[in-house]
Amino acid sequence: MAHAEINTDYKTFKGGIHPPYNKELANSKPIEAAPVPGKVIIPLSQHIGAPNSALVAAGDRVEAGQKIGGTDAFVSAPVHSSVSGVVKEVAEMANFTGARVPCVIIEADSEQVPFRAGETKPLDALKAEEIREIAKEAGLVGMGGAAFPTHVKLAPPKDKPVDIVLINACECEPFLTCDHRLMLERPSDLVAGLRLLMAAVGAGRGVIGIEANKPDAIEAVRKVAGDIEVASLPVKYPEGAEKMLISVVAGRKVPPGKLPSEVGALVQNVGTAVALYEAAATGKPLFERVLTVTGPGIRNPKNLLAKIGTPVSTLIEAAGGFVGSPARLIMGGPMTGWTQENLDAPIQKGTSGLVALTEELIGWQEEEECVRCAKCIEACPMFLMPNYIVQAAKRGQWDQAEMYGALDCFECGCCSFTCPSFIPHVKYVRKAKAAIAALKKGVK
Amino acid sequence: MAEKGLAAAIAPHLHSEQTIKRGMTDVLIALIPVVIWGIIAFGINVLLIIVISCLTAVVSEVVMRKILRRKITLRDWSAVLTGLLLALTLPPTVPWWVVVVGSVIAVAIAKELFGGLGRNIFNPALFARVVLLFSPFTIYTTKFVRPFWWKNGGFWTLAQTRIDNSIGGRIVYASWGGSPINTLTTSATPLSLLKSGRMLGTAVTGATPVGANFLTSTGKPTLYSMFLGFKAGAIGEVSVLALLLGGIYLVYRGTIDWRIPVGIIGTVFILTWIGGSSPVYQMLGGGLFLGSFFMATDWVTSPVTRQGKWIYAVGIGVFIAIFRLVSALPEGVAISILYWNVITLLIDRYVARSHFGDATRPVFNRLPKLAARPLPVKKEA
Ligand code: SF4
Ligand code: SF4
Repeated sequence: MAHAEINTDYKTFKGGIHPPYNKELANSKPIEAAPVPGKVIIPLSQHIGAPNSALVAAGDRVEAGQKIGGTDAFVSAPVHSSVSGVVKEVAEMANFTGARVPCVIIEADSEQVPFRAGETKPLDALKAEEIREIAKEAGLVGMGGAAFPTHVKLAPPKDKPVDIVLINACECEPFLTCDHRLMLERPSDLVAGLRLLMAAVGAGRGVIGIEANKPDAIEAVRKVAGDIEVASLPVKYPEGAEKMLISVVAGRKVPPGKLPSEVGALVQNVGTAVALYEAAATGKPLFERVLTVTGPGIRNPKNLLAKIGTPVSTLIEAAGGFVGSPARLIMGGPMTGWTQENLDAPIQKGTSGLVALTEELIGWQEEEECVRCAKCIEACPMFLMPNYIVQAAKRGQWDQAEMYGALDCFECGCCSFTCPSFIPHVKYVRKAKAAIAALKKGVK
Repeated sequence: MAEKGLAAAIAPHLHSEQTIKRGMTDVLIALIPVVIWGIIAFGINVLLIIVISCLTAVVSEVVMRKILRRKITLRDWSAVLTGLLLALTLPPTVPWWVVVVGSVIAVAIAKELFGGLGRNIFNPALFARVVLLFSPFTIYTTKFVRPFWWKNGGFWTLAQTRIDNSIGGRIVYASWGGSPINTLTTSATPLSLLKSGRMLGTAVTGATPVGANFLTSTGKPTLYSMFLGFKAGAIGEVSVLALLLGGIYLVYRGTIDWRIPVGIIGTVFILTWIGGSSPVYQMLGGGLFLGSFFMATDWVTSPVTRQGKWIYAVGIGVFIAIFRLVSALPEGVAISILYWNVITLLIDRYVARSHFGDATRPVFNRLPKLAARPLPVKKEA
């Protein structure tokens, strides 16, 4: 077997920003198991795509790993119980965005019956369809936040063969360290997961892209990578964004509105690759995940392996609670995450962290008039004109909002980060996207 | 159960150190060498003009924003900067009341009446400068004295331009109190020397300094002395060295885009060369560096895209070259920039950015065909 090379030969993408990373708060903390809460709230649909319906009803007994929600639609991912216990009810509860969504609420046994591994085939005997089926049955989704069903990505259109699979191991969001820890603690599982991904799409080349500020992770992965390439990438946000990563590593640009398969690439993040390995090796569906509970407002920052559906409050407590008075608690990373005003919402498959930020760190001020400084334009990695999207959205000129690129925006937040007028571009972009979609639908 | 103190907000939840205040104070810092040189070359008079201009700007801003019921935003330092920039475009002996008029025009009209910072079409300082130029007070804004005139009269003398009606409306210099300063006379600026036709096109490179005023034997300043700042001109335009120091600082800080000054100065250089003038002399004489680094780079009134910036910069350069080579005006920097401030509206409307991965690489913006006409939506407050 060829020896793994660390390829440092990559040039970064144009645009982007350098936020304060603050990874040191949690990057030396080994992954710990979070306590199992008294009850878990499991949203029935945690993916982008068709909604699931409940497969259980109040009073049913469920085991950890049992499927509790699903649908026949292709673009979907089933959900599984993360605990052993009894279904209390199926009801609408607020999720992390504040929207009320159907959830299965399960009272957990005080003595948890652990998940038991099922019969599995040797990994290298698995055929492509089998791997896709495993991914589907395990309810795998992109675990970096977007939560797109993995098996759908593994089934690219026939005329667009995928020849390169990339692992987004950049973890370019500030504060988060869960992928970093996974790479340090379970590098072989990551590599095995990547090999499964490659086998599923028949790709010959696999690359694990890690930002250069994690030399220990690069080294850990390289040792077990075999013929898989480990890429040490320039440190810049959003290096890990799908389109950026593909252009940096493979030199291919995904056209606007198209998927990575258009240019023969597939991107998955570290958590998803590890989860795919687990599903294939032990039959374990995605019902728990590693996430980082961190920030200056957390007493004891940690990387926790937590059951999906655990309420935020349980995890904050597990990390020693708040210190001082944090101004915002963010689910996800600070660049793209959602603020939580209360601690009731459950974590989902796509939840990569909980970050408690203090006012000084946020440094956000009142919105001013745009002074046309062009900083947002220089920072936008999609080469859009964020200032004009905002202007058009304020005036309700949706055709102009589209012209300036509202639909191509993936809401990375670089524009707002650099804006001296503190304009929340993403808010207006979301508005424009909704309006444009409504207009387009209206006439069809 | 809402947790105490946890706010709801939209991502991102971090912000860079960029603020409007940082941008404005950066420019103020960059202008320190220019101001210092202005005071050294033209006496304490200059400091007073600057202070008056800045104070008037601040007062005008507060008054206007009160009248227009806008939030007072003095803390962003933009009013002070406008006041300073205006002062730097005026002659060292401009009467104080002309400064007040100019500063009011800059802030109250060019900035606030146009909608406030961010909505103004013209660079406020330049707008005021050009209005003064075409006003009845033009005489006060176009008479320049030679540097270090105060060596005879004393550094602390407050001199200002006056019209003496007793001797047929001639320009004289007097102290602010009114006592005449006989030692002071109007001096030609490098560019007005060219325009007076005496020396158009004569090679000046290689000339050596003669006498205390760094003049060549033909009466023009040497390139070297023009670079350092030994020439007649507006308060802030005379020392190219000081302007360059400030400009480089701004580029280094990312506050201005290098494309604009490079584009303008480069274009003027090339065109005046082709036009048979001395390009280095054209570059160092007049307000080219002040205009290119500190006026044309104004965030609000310059294009936002890189391509747009190039078009804008080259356009300004072409206009300046035409003014200087063809028209009767010796300068043309201020007017050229103002013209292109307006054209910026078109540039930003039509110059497209090719979005990431867009193989069609559009050069001009075209409205997409949305299925329905956009619904009129109420404006956001
Ligand atoms: S960064 Fe902000 S102020 Fe600057 S152009 Fe963009 S929206 Fe306007
Ligand atoms: S416009 Fe969208 S893609 Fe561009 S920087 Fe802003 S959030 Fe990111």
